[in-house]
Amino acid sequence: MHTLKLLSSFFKVNVQMSLAYRADTVVNILLNLMWLGWELLSLNIIFSNTTTLGGWGFAELIALLGVFRLVNTLMMALIWPNTEKFNQSIRDGSMDYTILQPVNSMFLVTFSRITVWRIWDLILAITLIVVGINMTGDTTTALHILTFILLATTGTIVIYSLWIVLIALTFWFTKFDNNVTILHALLDSGRYPATVYPVWLRVIVTFIVPIAVATTIPLQALRGDLNLGQVAIFFFVGVGSFIIASQVWKAGLKRYSGASS
Amino acid sequence: MYLIFQRLWQVNWAEQWQYRANMLMYLLYWLVSPIMYLAVWTSIANANGSVNGFTANDFITYYMTLLICDQVTSNIVIHIFGYKIQDGTLSGELVKPIHPMLTNALINNIAFKVLMILGFLPIWVILFFLFKPDFSSVALSGVLLSIPAMILGFFVSYMISAAITALAFWTTRVYSIHEFYFALILLFSGQFVPLPLMPKLVQDIAQYLPFQLFMYYPIQLILGKLSTEQIIQGFVSGVIWLGISTVLFNWVWKNGVKRYSAVGA
Repeated sequence: MHTLKLLSSFFKVNVQMSLAYRADTVVNILLNLMWLGWELLSLNIIFSNTTTLGGWGFAELIALLGVFRLVNTLMMALIWPNTEKFNQSIRDGSMDYTILQPVNSMFLVTFSRITVWRIWDLILAITLIVVGINMTGDTTTALHILTFILLATTGTIVIYSLWIVLIALTFWFTKFDNNVTILHALLDSGRYPATVYPVWLRVIVTFIVPIAVATTIPLQALRGDLNLGQVAIFFFVGVGSFIIASQVWKAGLKRYSGASS
Repeated sequence: MYLIFQRLWQVNWAEQWQYRANMLMYLLYWLVSPIMYLAVWTSIANANGSVNGFTANDFITYYMTLLICDQVTSNIVIHIFGYKIQDGTLSGELVKPIHPMLTNALINNIAFKVLMILGFLPIWVILFFLFKPDFSSVALSGVLLSIPAMILGFFVSYMISAAITALAFWTTRVYSIHEFYFALILLFSGQFVPLPLMPKLVQDIAQYLPFQLFMYYPIQLILGKLSTEQIIQGFVSGVIWLGISTVLFNWVWKNGVKRYSAVGA
């Protein structure tokens, strides 16, 4: 309850900050629509030359695009602005004030900045997912949709955890302000099913920077490609990575000694 | 003049060398899309035998060559110059007797490019062994001709971007305009897919735009896919676009500087 209250007040503050730049919001949304148009056109070009991509149909790629945009929103609305603020606070020592607050510092550091207009992106992403699932028609069962939602959430948690670990590394290496670039760089790979990539790239985006865990794998669940055991494994990977990330964060906090001392 | 360029090179090279770690990250960021498209299209070609006459190897060689052409012809002038107009640091450069955009910024961009290419070469070799492309259609004449073609492409792209960057004299939203321009490149340059696979309408429009000079044209030139007539056509259109973009840039720049009243002045 307490957390929700905090979250809503963070949101209010960020809405107020963004209201100062109303015209920018309109321009950003227009550009966002332009990229959506481009993404749909590129899928259209691909499927005017073939009927399947790595065994996946047009409808499934629409849904995948939706999931990709979900992760992209997480990146742009939360990870990017909060990391910037965090790196700054490590450099100038304002992290002191964050730690002094009587709230979980990991929560404070990761949710205090929200790029508000990206909510729009969230709506688009969910629309794409719903449209994609509808287009797949009868082949999708309710169970598949449930596992899809479960694994999409799990995948998001895995990305969130990786982010925590990456920024926590800054406690050890103060000058590490490229901390999330690698995540951002590989993000684009989530647009297409990882199954079409060469093995080495698939290994990178599944195990090292697990973009595919949040994009391809939920879609595989939707298609019914995964058995119960695999679903369970990915679910526990999600839970496990969150536990590891919070431990790394705690260990990192102990290393923190302020900027001036 | 030569001395000025030599000195500018030393300064800008030293500056770019400072950021070599960032550059590796940037390189990684830039590599992902072409490799992804390569994988997508080779997988389609393998599944269907060929796509519109393109075999899997055609796609591999296309994107492997695209990596090189994109490195040479692209520019970052919006990032090295845009902020100078906005925060007023341009004032110091304007009083110097040399053109800020055509000397200092240009040399800085080239220093960045050389460093990127140095970092990129070993990666290209690794990719070569991973994808094992068959480059047997490549002839020496095509490679030699592609060098002036890519240099021409770079200057056209530089002048257009410089003109867009100079719009910062009027608007703070120049980065949004640049993003829109970037989408045009993606659509018309052959960056996403070889142009013959684009919709007919896009191909027709691309004929009249400069963007294929950045990628599609030099790639096809290197791969030996163009007739003599097409090669000449490409160079002619390159020279014409260089003229147009230079005039455009000069016009925007001249009017912009007149409007410019530095922040804090």
